[in-house]
Amino acid sequence: MVRRPAPLKAALPKPPRLLTTLPGRFTSRLHDERTASLLGVALGAALLVSFGTGLVSHFMQQPAGWMRWPSRPVNLYRVTQGVHVIGGLATVPLLLAKLWTVYPKLWQWPPVRSIGHAVQRLLVFVLVGAALFQFVTGVLNIAYWYPFRFFFTTAHYWTAYILAGALVVHVANEGAKARRAVMTRPQDAVGRRGFLLTVAAASGAVALTTAGEAATPLARLAVLAPRRPGTGPQDVPVNKSAAATGVTAAALDPGWRLTVTGRVAREVTLSLADLRALPQHTVRLPISCVEGWSVEADWHGVRLRDVLRLAGVDAGGAGRGARVRVESLERGGRYRASRVDPPHWHDPLTLLALGMNGAPLALDHGRPCRLIAPNRPGVMQTKWVHRLVVT
Amino acid sequence: MTARVLGYAAGLALIGLGLRGIAADVPVGRWAAWFAGAAVLHDAVLVPLVLAAGLATGRLPGRFRRTVRAALVTAACVTAVALPLVLGYGRRADEPSRLPLPYGRNLAIVLAAIAVLAAAAAAASALAGRRKGRSR
Repeated sequence: MVRRPAPLKAALPKPPRLLTTLPGRFTSRLHDERTASLLGVALGAALLVSFGTGLVSHFMQQPAGWMRWPSRPVNLYRVTQGVHVIGGLATVPLLLAKLWTVYPKLWQWPPVRSIGHAVQRLLVFVLVGAALFQFVTGVLNIAYWYPFRFFFTTAHYWTAYILAGALVVHVANEGAKARRAVMTRPQDAVGRRGFLLTVAAASGAVALTTAGEAATPLARLAVLAPRRPGTGPQDVPVNKSAAATGVTAAALDPGWRLTVTGRVAREVTLSLADLRALPQHTVRLPISCVEGWSVEADWHGVRLRDVLRLAGVDAGGAGRGARVRVESLERGGRYRASRVDPPHWHDPLTLLALGMNGAPLALDHGRPCRLIAPNRPGVMQTKWVHRLVVT
Repeated sequence: MTARVLGYAAGLALIGLGLRGIAADVPVGRWAAWFAGAAVLHDAVLVPLVLAAGLATGRLPGRFRRTVRAALVTAACVTAVALPLVLGYGRRADEPSRLPLPYGRNLAIVLAAIAVLAAAAAAASALAGRRKGRSR
């Protein structure tokens, strides 16, 4: 007969009773499956919306080769990014409530029952870590506060996939249980309604005090938003100033010229007076920042397609499929140039704006000339334009 | 069961895609510190503080307890989201339209409004309770 070695457990000191009985010490009856499931369904939906709108923003800025974003509806990006940021902020109370509800499970004893259980718990850690990471970095980013030493955009983008993946696994694990918990009429008298209403009130308070940075009629309520419509040169906020980008001298130089070059029939060089001599148009378009704020303004200037036509690139002719790189006077930086695809440069609303709200462009808004187009992220509305390169 | 396997496969693929992107584009150590740090701070600091607040308010009589807790939860959430604005590290002298408001004062006003609403709700419920007691 083979003697089996004594189980390892006996060799370890017995854990203190406080640790093994901890999960039972959470007395609130709100730490239950139904509350967790109701909050989970709402949180899952909110995260899905954030993921989708985030992907829209990413792929508008870095379209894959086959992607063609439409130039209409005019306010599409304004809405998706407003929902991403304001909705994301309003989701914070939901996430915290959900994590509080399931907190006793963190202390379950034994911590790990099997290898499968260990993998599941690791994936829950990934879910929680990724969710908190997204919310913390997102909230800091819109406050322009960068205590972390990595680039926000790439970290937020890639972590979104980790969060989405961990969420899919979580739904695969818990979906059936959650459905049962939500669909079964509870027989207890736990006051869930009050708790859920409190979470809704907290979300509502956050949304109410921030939404006005994207929805101008609510601007006066946006007392805790990082931007205020109506504040800034010519009543429109600025993200990057001329001083910060070092373009002041070049932008004020009377020798400024706009050059149209690349795959054109003829190169064209235009002075500010030449541009003013072209047909002038006024359009009402929003500037919609990736940080969620947006403001409408009246822009006046020349149509981009009219300028391109001078160089022999015609929206109705052989060059209609061309892409245009709009270059700024900025020497470097991630947003020095932006790409304009055919749907946008064909659009009559797309201007090289020379002025805004009835006055010439302020220096910080891109004087002497900037791009303004419908359904387009603010960082791609290139300012201080001096070159159009047709490719 | 098949749905669960599919869920795992899709989920793990997405996690793998994200991790590959992090490894390629982001300094992994710094990223991991914030990833794990957020979870640890939440579990070890934030939730214990909430639990302590729950214990502290547990002594209040039932109908005030719920109102006070609801007000505290709302106030804490608003504060958490607004804190980076109040601290104002993102301000820049050359871009005055960035963080243009007096956020400390504004947060105080919002918190005061929450307190007033909560006090009104508590007073209303106390009044209703007294009336009910009298009619009985």
